[in-house]
Amino acid sequence: MAETLDDPRSDQQLVEAMAGGDRSALRSLHSRHAPWLLLRLSRRCADPAIVEEVVQDTFLAVWRKPAAYKGSGPVAAWIWGIGIRRLVDQFRRQRRPMVEVAEGMATTPSAEEQLLLGVEHGDLGAALNRLSPELRAVVQATVLDGLTTREAARLLGIPAGTVKTRMMRAKPQLREALL
Amino acid sequence: MSDPATTWHAEPDLLERYARGDIDHARACSLEAHLLECARCRLALAPAVDTGRLEGSWDGLVAALDAPRPGRMERLLARLGVREHTARLLAATPTLRLSWLAGVVLALGFAVAAAHGGRGERSLLLFLLLAPLLPVAGVAASFTRGVDPTYDVALAAPMPAFHLLLIRSAAVLGTTMVVAAVAALGLPDLGWIVAAWLVPAVALTVVSLALATFQAPVTAAATVAAVWVGGVLGSEALSDGGLRAAFRPGPISSAAFTAGGQLALVAVTILALLVVTSRHDRFEIERTV
Repeated sequence: MAETLDDPRSDQQLVEAMAGGDRSALRSLHSRHAPWLLLRLSRRCADPAIVEEVVQDTFLAVWRKPAAYKGSGPVAAWIWGIGIRRLVDQFRRQRRPMVEVAEGMATTPSAEEQLLLGVEHGDLGAALNRLSPELRAVVQATVLDGLTTREAARLLGIPAGTVKTRMMRAKPQLREALL
Repeated sequence: MSDPATTWHAEPDLLERYARGDIDHARACSLEAHLLECARCRLALAPAVDTGRLEGSWDGLVAALDAPRPGRMERLLARLGVREHTARLLAATPTLRLSWLAGVVLALGFAVAAAHGGRGERSLLLFLLLAPLLPVAGVAASFTRGVDPTYDVALAAPMPAFHLLLIRSAAVLGTTMVVAAVAALGLPDLGWIVAAWLVPAVALTVVSLALATFQAPVTAAATVAAVWVGGVLGSEALSDGGLRAAFRPGPISSAAFTAGGQLALVAVTILALLVVTSRHDRFEIERTV
């Protein structure tokens, strides 16, 4: 329900149709998902040209490997998982750290992360805002954007060990806010 | 996809501020989590993005879908950080293609087999003669109309012909020498002489490039090859009385494989490099012909 822009098919049906080579399905997916993906990526990369390239790469991957969607969870989350990793790839290729660090949310959170995510507003939000930009960037990349330590390191242009130590420093601060 | 469990939806004002980037981190996080679940809010957010930008994105996507997919080698090079157009031209370099590599492997295989068939250092002569010539042939093939499938593409490449030449020559030299080095491991162990082809390989390649500033690449390669083979066999013959001596078992006496000869080849390489750099505009002129 509430599927958009003239195409009556659900996102899942569109992904299935793409597997059969239906380009109109890709068109519909693109018009539904390109806008928010573009905006969300723009919060993580200040260069509009790179963002546009990543969006294009993402839908190219979506078109070529629709079977990668496992059918569980929102199609949007699957698209985001591809998009953020393509962005990481871009940064790796260009060998430069991202320009601006921002935030996001979840693909497949662990139990502890689930606890963090369970609280959308209130103290946790305040705690997140209070974190230093360095710590927050790490929390956002790993917990909220669903990246691995190594991917987060590439995205932020810092060593993987630094990602781990910053995460260790951020956790007590967030835990305190929840108790 | 919609979420029946949620009746909460983002305020238009919140969406607008999110699109502008004028929002604190916690609220942005919260909204982004909601957007993954809520088709209605995604749709409400869409007008915040310039339609021209989205159309451009779609057009680019269609163009990418209709473009031929890069080959495996090209994708590998791109992954290694080689820029796209460089990767395409490199991947089309004959030495990077399987048929060429197969030929190189076959030729070196014969030479290695011959080395095992004979006795003494001279059994290596075929390998030492052949290995330095392979990159020369590869470089010439990379720049010859009819052999090089991207000849016309290369003419129109968005970089100076000289850069292209250097990139491809390095690729040719690199791949061929790796194959030859692997083949050399299969040679009977006769000391450092099994590595004596390395310096000549670089020297002959650079000299053929230098000559190619005066004549066609194939002619240059043929000249270099003739001089090399003639020189090595000739000096073997001179030191051992007669051409047939070169094929008899015995130590290799050709000057090219002595310490002095190798040093001389290094000097020749440097000279040839000077010629190539001072005459590199000749490669640009070639393109306009």
